[in-house]
Amino acid sequence: MEAIDNGLFANGSAVILAGGKSSRMGTAKALLRFDNDPLIVHIARKLNAFFPDLVIVAAPGQELPPVAGKIVRDEVAYQGPVGGIYYGLNAAAGEFCFVTSCDVPFLSSDLITYLVSLIKDHDIVAPYWQDRFQPLCAVYRRTVLPLLSEQLARGELRPIYLYDKVRTRRVGEEEIRRFDPDGLSFFNMNSPEDYTESLSLWQRRSATTCTVELFGVPRLLAKTKEISLALPPRATLADVFSALAERLPVLSGRVIDPQRSVLSSGYACNVNGLKFVRDPTLILQPGDRIFIVAADAGG
Amino acid sequence: MHGFHGRLLHIDLTRGTSLRRDLDSSRLRAYLGGIGLGATLLYEWAPPGVDPLAPENPLIFASAPLVGTGLTTTAKFAVVTKSPLTGFIADSLSSSRFALELKRIGVDAVVITGRASSLSYVFIRNDRVEFHGAEGLRGQSPGATEALIREELNAPGARVAAIGLAGENGVRFATISNEGRHAGRGGVGAVMGAKNLKAIALLGDGDVACADPAGVAAVAESLRRRSLGPLTDKYRNIGTVANLSVFNRLGTLPTRNFRQSTFDAADAVSGEMLTETHFSRRHGCASCTILCERLFKAAGGEEQRLEYETLFAMGPLCGVEDPEAVLGAARLCDEFGLDTISAGGTLAWGMECAEKGILPEDRRFALRFGDAAGIAAALDAIARREGLGSLLAEGSRRAAAEVGGQSAYWAMHVKGLEMPGYEPRSLKTMALGLAVSPRGACHNRSGAYEADFSGAVDRLSGDAARGVLVAQSEDFAAVMDSLIVCKFLRKCFTDFYAESADLLGKVTGWEYTAADLARAGERIHTMKKLFNIREGWRPEDDWLPERVLAERLPDGVAEGAGLSVPELKDMIGGYYRARGWDDAGYVPDAKLTELGIAVSR
Repeated sequence: MEAIDNGLFANGSAVILAGGKSSRMGTAKALLRFDNDPLIVHIARKLNAFFPDLVIVAAPGQELPPVAGKIVRDEVAYQGPVGGIYYGLNAAAGEFCFVTSCDVPFLSSDLITYLVSLIKDHDIVAPYWQDRFQPLCAVYRRTVLPLLSEQLARGELRPIYLYDKVRTRRVGEEEIRRFDPDGLSFFNMNSPEDYTESLSLWQRRSATTCTVELFGVPRLLAKTKEISLALPPRATLADVFSALAERLPVLSGRVIDPQRSVLSSGYACNVNGLKFVRDPTLILQPGDRIFIVAADAGG
Repeated sequence: MHGFHGRLLHIDLTRGTSLRRDLDSSRLRAYLGGIGLGATLLYEWAPPGVDPLAPENPLIFASAPLVGTGLTTTAKFAVVTKSPLTGFIADSLSSSRFALELKRIGVDAVVITGRASSLSYVFIRNDRVEFHGAEGLRGQSPGATEALIREELNAPGARVAAIGLAGENGVRFATISNEGRHAGRGGVGAVMGAKNLKAIALLGDGDVACADPAGVAAVAESLRRRSLGPLTDKYRNIGTVANLSVFNRLGTLPTRNFRQSTFDAADAVSGEMLTETHFSRRHGCASCTILCERLFKAAGGEEQRLEYETLFAMGPLCGVEDPEAVLGAARLCDEFGLDTISAGGTLAWGMECAEKGILPEDRRFALRFGDAAGIAAALDAIARREGLGSLLAEGSRRAAAEVGGQSAYWAMHVKGLEMPGYEPRSLKTMALGLAVSPRGACHNRSGAYEADFSGAVDRLSGDAARGVLVAQSEDFAAVMDSLIVCKFLRKCFTDFYAESADLLGKVTGWEYTAADLARAGERIHTMKKLFNIREGWRPEDDWLPERVLAERLPDGVAEGAGLSVPELKDMIGGYYRARGWDDAGYVPDAKLTELGIAVSR
């Protein structure tokens, strides 16, 4: 689900760290072709949809394709993520920055939105996935810059040394799975094998599989709690309603208006339990769960 | 006069007298009927600072202009008094044939004061008021009382509203019940019990005269048709119990005294499951086409009515996973005349205190989350006011004050009224609605949750703009509750104020505009607030339980959602501004002038 909330992101920047060595990959990761573009362009496009400001931190002399963002160079190359985060935050215009790297093809928009929504009461919002923090899929308030600077001076190159010193919000696995069930946002490509796997996964995910959960009268009529639907790429809610009416004709007319591919007036739709959506042109993401509930919550 | 009678009946139980008095048409125009009429009468009749359980506290039964017109869902009446649970206004609604009979006895309201010397009931037959002893009915359930009184009076057509054992014993969340329905919230049954009044029986033969009968009939037919369309599919075909599985999935189902917002056994007690395994039949109030009531068959074969709020309160809130246990607890509440929400909320408080080892022990029962036998025994002890039951009969706020220590932290109430089944941390507009409602934690005197379920706002994040939404929702509810029209019909109107103004004009012959009605809603709501201010309301009363502000939700799709103090303050500030009140929530004189409210303050 593409969620663009200008209010939430208005004071934010995005930072892509592109200056790694790419030694195991054998070729510059930022330039790998992905979805017909260099990977860094693919990532920048996703972030540009949310953030008014994008900073790319590159190594001195590193080659980059044309990309819509401000490019800064490490003053001292290869100081690890702490250096990159420092230079990125330093160059950013926003009060906080979502920081990522140039080798993550499957960033989840919903997860980014959620992480950013949590920063208002914290200095750092960092996912904790498979027993470790994910400092390169995290949100940092720019007020941590002085601490980062001191850390660099001491040669402490691991970002998590910072986490204990400020108000850090750890986002646990269960929380993450609500937005990114498989944690693909943290999948970074380090080897040619990773790259091949990513391309294959991308192709598979281009088809949209959604699950519709039924509540109340629709559940009683359909005699099932949920149903999985395979839909074309970039399927909309209207596609879901059409497919559902076809699979469960008992809902047609009563719950779904099949002519217009919308829900009947007595019903409402919620995507992933978070947003009630009235616009049938909403484009769905693979794995989205669509709840069909009574429009009236009285009782 | 059309639609109204222009009279009230005052019954003084101490003296055993009754008197009819005129009601000004200007007052009826301004406050309509039901909750609006009840609120203005309460302000007039209740001595300032009166003890809710004192003889002087008036118990008001108010009829309304649409009652008896044949319009679907309008057979309703209001019960208004000063609440023994909150010390503020208690304005409850009930419905069905008692409402029609109240209209037929030829008054717009019955105001009851005083205290009978022994347990009694009152029989109002048109202009005649009889006082009857009711010692023989002591301890009877409301349902049995109705049948026994009809038999004793030899009046099979009489309609009766009665209290059960809980009302007789002054349980602060006792109800007044008629035909299996209840004026449920705020302890109106305790006020009736304090008057030694077991029941009121009505028998009238008056007609309801409309100014434009053909016009009313046409609207009635249109509303009837709309009431049978997709907008009421839920109420007609599964009932309010449908809420449970939806709320669970959305992380808004208060569970185990609001520790969680999802219930691991939600499927077992869901409305869908109950319908598949226990459904017996549909039922409805008089004059209603929707028939939202669901009767379920319990293990013993008995039918039991169940609504979402009872299901939530006796199920997830108390950690109960067995639908039979929920049906059993609901039956006990019906028979004793107990508000199921406050009963569940107070029991859940007791369970948490017991878990922490600070609840006084009682040899009759133990309270533990999920322990159905303990709940049944506790409900019995509450109604009888025996042992620990006597403490629980005071409601969670007073009980916590008595137990002391940390126990107030687990008392989930607003202004003393226990919270309904809508989790405020994942429904932020509702959070505001609950905090500011004059009745306390109430889901009926506004439908603030509607905004949260609409997609128009972010339900997980509150802001000052919610103030307007809540104020509008309260005014809308005030008009519905004063006309009276059931809320389950609300979505069937295309333009509620315009259509209602037209309809009310056809009933009364008085001209109303949509703006007049919207203003009436604001006036009625303001009157409730004025009563509360006179009875000692303070800004800190518009607030939510500490747990809601201190703990984040631990599970479900809303995991991690909390409600911060600045967020709540921001919403409340926005609400006071939307209302045109001062920053502390008091009503300025200019607002009273604007609304045409003349009261001495």
